Amino acid sequence: MIRARVLISGDPLSLSRGAEKTKLAIEAEISYYGLEDEIQVSYLTHADRTDILPIVMIYPEGVTYGPVTPEDGAYIVQEHLYKGRVIEHLFAPPEVLTGDIAHIPGRKGATYAQKRIVLRRAGVINPLDIEDYITHDGYFALAKALEEMQPEEVLETVKASKLQGRGGAGFPTGLKWSFVVQQPGEKYVVCNADESEPGTFKDRLILEGDPHALLEAMALAGYAIGAHEGWIYIRGEYALAKERLNKAIQQAKELNLLGDHILGSDFSFDIHVHAGAGAYICGEETALLESLEGKRGIPRIRPPYPTVAGFRGKPTVVNNVETLANIPPIIQNGADWFRSMGTERSPGTKVYTMLGDVNITGLVETPMGTTLREIINIYGGGMKDGKAFKCAQTGGASGSIIPPELLDVPMDFASMAESGAALGSGALLIAGEDTCIVDLAYVLLRFFKAESCGKCTPCRIGTAQMLEALERLRMGYGTQVDLDRLEEIAHYTKEASFCGLGQAAPVPIITGLRYFREEFEAHTRGECPTGVCPCSVKQKVKH
Amino acid sequence: MSKVQLTIDGKSVEAESGQTILEVAQATSVDIPILCHHPALSEWGACRMCLVQVEGMRGLQTACTCPVTDGMKVSTETEEIANIRKFILELLFSERNHYCMYCQMSGDCELQDLAYRYGLDHWTYPRPFERMEIDASRKYFIMDHNRCILCTRCIRACSEVAANHTLNLRERGADSMIMADLNVPFGESTCIECGTCLQVCPTGALIDARSAYGGREKDVEHTQTTCMQCSVGCQLDVVTRYSRLLRVDGVWDAAPSNGLLCVDGRFKPLYDKRQRVTQPLVRKDNKLVETSWEEALKVVAGKLKDSKPQGLALAGTTNEALAAFVKLFEKAGGEAGRLEPLAPELDYGEPAQLKDILESDYIIVAGAAPLEYQRVVGYFIKRMADKGVPVALIGETVEGLQTQATLVLSYEEAGKAAEAAMSAKHPVIVYSVGLKAAAIEALKSLGDKARILALDPAHNSNGAQNAGLKPMAVNGADTLYFLLGEQSEDEALVAQLNGQFTIVQASYKSPLVERADVVLPTPLWYEREGHITNVEGQTLPLNAVLPMPASVRDDAEVLKVLKELI
Repeated sequence: MIRARVLISGDPLSLSRGAEKTKLAIEAEISYYGLEDEIQVSYLTHADRTDILPIVMIYPEGVTYGPVTPEDGAYIVQEHLYKGRVIEHLFAPPEVLTGDIAHIPGRKGATYAQKRIVLRRAGVINPLDIEDYITHDGYFALAKALEEMQPEEVLETVKASKLQGRGGAGFPTGLKWSFVVQQPGEKYVVCNADESEPGTFKDRLILEGDPHALLEAMALAGYAIGAHEGWIYIRGEYALAKERLNKAIQQAKELNLLGDHILGSDFSFDIHVHAGAGAYICGEETALLESLEGKRGIPRIRPPYPTVAGFRGKPTVVNNVETLANIPPIIQNGADWFRSMGTERSPGTKVYTMLGDVNITGLVETPMGTTLREIINIYGGGMKDGKAFKCAQTGGASGSIIPPELLDVPMDFASMAESGAALGSGALLIAGEDTCIVDLAYVLLRFFKAESCGKCTPCRIGTAQMLEALERLRMGYGTQVDLDRLEEIAHYTKEASFCGLGQAAPVPIITGLRYFREEFEAHTRGECPTGVCPCSVKQKVKH
Repeated sequence: MSKVQLTIDGKSVEAESGQTILEVAQATSVDIPILCHHPALSEWGACRMCLVQVEGMRGLQTACTCPVTDGMKVSTETEEIANIRKFILELLFSERNHYCMYCQMSGDCELQDLAYRYGLDHWTYPRPFERMEIDASRKYFIMDHNRCILCTRCIRACSEVAANHTLNLRERGADSMIMADLNVPFGESTCIECGTCLQVCPTGALIDARSAYGGREKDVEHTQTTCMQCSVGCQLDVVTRYSRLLRVDGVWDAAPSNGLLCVDGRFKPLYDKRQRVTQPLVRKDNKLVETSWEEALKVVAGKLKDSKPQGLALAGTTNEALAAFVKLFEKAGGEAGRLEPLAPELDYGEPAQLKDILESDYIIVAGAAPLEYQRVVGYFIKRMADKGVPVALIGETVEGLQTQATLVLSYEEAGKAAEAAMSAKHPVIVYSVGLKAAAIEALKSLGDKARILALDPAHNSNGAQNAGLKPMAVNGADTLYFLLGEQSEDEALVAQLNGQFTIVQASYKSPLVERADVVLPTPLWYEREGHITNVEGQTLPLNAVLPMPASVRDDAEVLKVLKELI
């Protein structure tokens, strides 16, 4: 009989700060008191705070201690778990707690409730324990599909759910699957876990906190489209997620939840994990497939689309992690349940990674259609230091700049597109009044110049030339000619580039110019209104 | 293939489905600019010069990759498109050093042509480029990265046409550079000097070392002829100016090799340093002295008539000469044969053409070393191996294909290859003189399904065969007549001679020429008229690129005159 659970933050930062030693010390102390049968100890995936790591949380009380040294850990076992006394002086500082780990359930009053589908288990279960996953409804959907449903029914359910791809483009997932089903021959499921959009880390939480959910979803996708092999292309930097995925695959195979004749059915499915080597372009699906085949990561010519000729030239479904994580609950609860959330055109929820000038940064999962204003004020706890909102960038580095006028647009794929913005991958960069748009664009372009694959002319040279122009504006050498040039390059690069990278790279400039033209113009006179750019430093020296 | 109807710039056009917009446009004389596209290479779609507007499609499409569909409406030159093309050219000109006036390609450069077409009269964007190293480590050609526009034609030519995979890109984005192997100097790389990259480069980034600054397209003349360096018979486009050879290019739309050449065909003959025989020579007082054709022919005719002659040919000359050779010895009453050995004849299989290799699904290379002697055939086999077609090597003499081979077998194990190829629909057997009887028997089970390509070492082996010349050694004749053409012969041949009166018809000085009693000069490969019969059995024309020196006479003519004289 388990009476208490101890969760120790196990994210890479915590591990580097000695979380493992703390865990060992706690386990040793538990066995010293002979409490192994009563207390379960496991890693918590992601504490989402950096100041108090490693964190130790104890349920059912919901007490958070942090930072916890191995000595503190032993003391916590002795006092809290053995003697039943909460140790107040080891509590994590409460005022900071109001923010960052607001999403952890069990704590009262910190934030408004979120609607959680894909993150419902992350941070609740032990990601390294398949039984914990199964206890939390895991592999239920797969079993249901294999026992009760034909592949066509699975496909129809996903279609009926109107689930849209969460990687950024919002393409209907069911439709994508049905393109592959129509093709003859061998097929593949590929999961795009190369989450490299700056400021986006939603997939990492799923991968690290709930790896089995992804495996189950890929098996379901394989069942629906008739594939027997799946590949997870994971970002090279996600070492911990990779390790956990491999462990999860091994566990699932041991229980025959992956492999040959899953659960005694005729369906066999195997999953491989392949790590990228640090290229942003490999998040583009055709470049990802090239890289997965062992080639240079550059986008392919389309058509043919991956649904016709993808991995190894065979029809392939390429889905984002978050998209796939929605599949098991859809199969489990039905399409109507899924459509009851979010908006008519974009049902379900969206995971956002919020950063910048807000009080609470981190992950938040809310129904589609929540406005940016709501997200900032409710989940973000308002603007930091009482700053005025200047702009937001949605969808990572390649996203649009959103001015205050668009704060009340419902955030779903269609509504955002109609207002000239894009939802993208779900990164929300919130910028306060002291942010310089030119400086922001410069930082973003530096990223794109470094990450352009170099295949097509406009992206390869256009990003470098845009950066050059921004550099001049930022330094105060820029003139109206540079600004005109910048606008021209941005326009044509967007029009003429080969793939999404080049088409999106100028978007911050184009939208920035649309809403904040005066600020760019000020820089042509050597003035930076917010005083961020180097040109303003020069000014001060001059006067 | 079904027909589709589409509109290009308001003009209604009929096309095959599966064609690209570019192909249809070119067929209807609509000029869409291109840079990275090359008809012999796979599509890349990256330079973005060929962007066109297709009604109903989101964004602009690359004409080189976009397949035509029924009812499609294409605009190839709107104001927006022209602006984009100009923009792309301006970017390219800002990226590296494109100061045309100092470039050897100026006047023939595809980038420069487009710059004129889109009215680039000044640099729009800042040019922060840095000077890059020029890689002149290759003997025959130079790589100047400063002129490179990263269209990757050279990389694709290297990988797809020559199947050698020497060139690739390093770094990414603005730092992208063409590199050889893992970034070693070109001259130290695995490059096989086929020169295909050189021929496809649209700018002055890859320059032929010999013909650089030798003349622009408008100054030079082109002559198509057949390569005589081996038995494949690749078509050459020989470029000349002021009656001098500038360089050799491949001919893309001509069989057997469709543009692909090897170092022996493209470069080496232009660098030949051997001393040429330009006058008839006769031995007098134990010394070879120059003489007139009349005198030389009189001496030869006299010897052929008065003694027992034997004729031995190296099959490196024209069909016409070989036929005249046989006729001459018929009349003179001596034996005539050839010096090179022949590949054994198989009593099964259909004769193959080179293109059959490209359609095969199993390739057996037996007792042959195509990468060494008939290189283009070797490259064709490598191309197929890259596509996953299994290649079985039989015999010890095979070299260079091991890394690609799926099976490496001895002659005794040849049965294994036959077994593996059994399920193939179009197996091809490429073999040469090395093939042993046991292997011939073992491969018989493939029967007439197999296409067979015999790679004889002789350059015009099929021509010699058609003329009726059989392999033969020096016999007890009093007078020996050697028809050598341009090839040099084995020094061992000289050792076999035993005081016979020796007549040599050759174009270069060699030990046999030094030993000869009479030497008759013959024309070089680019001076010959006539025909050869290549490895496929196709008769291919030789066209004189330049006139031969007045003191040299064509082999066939000489042999005909001799026949009249005796």
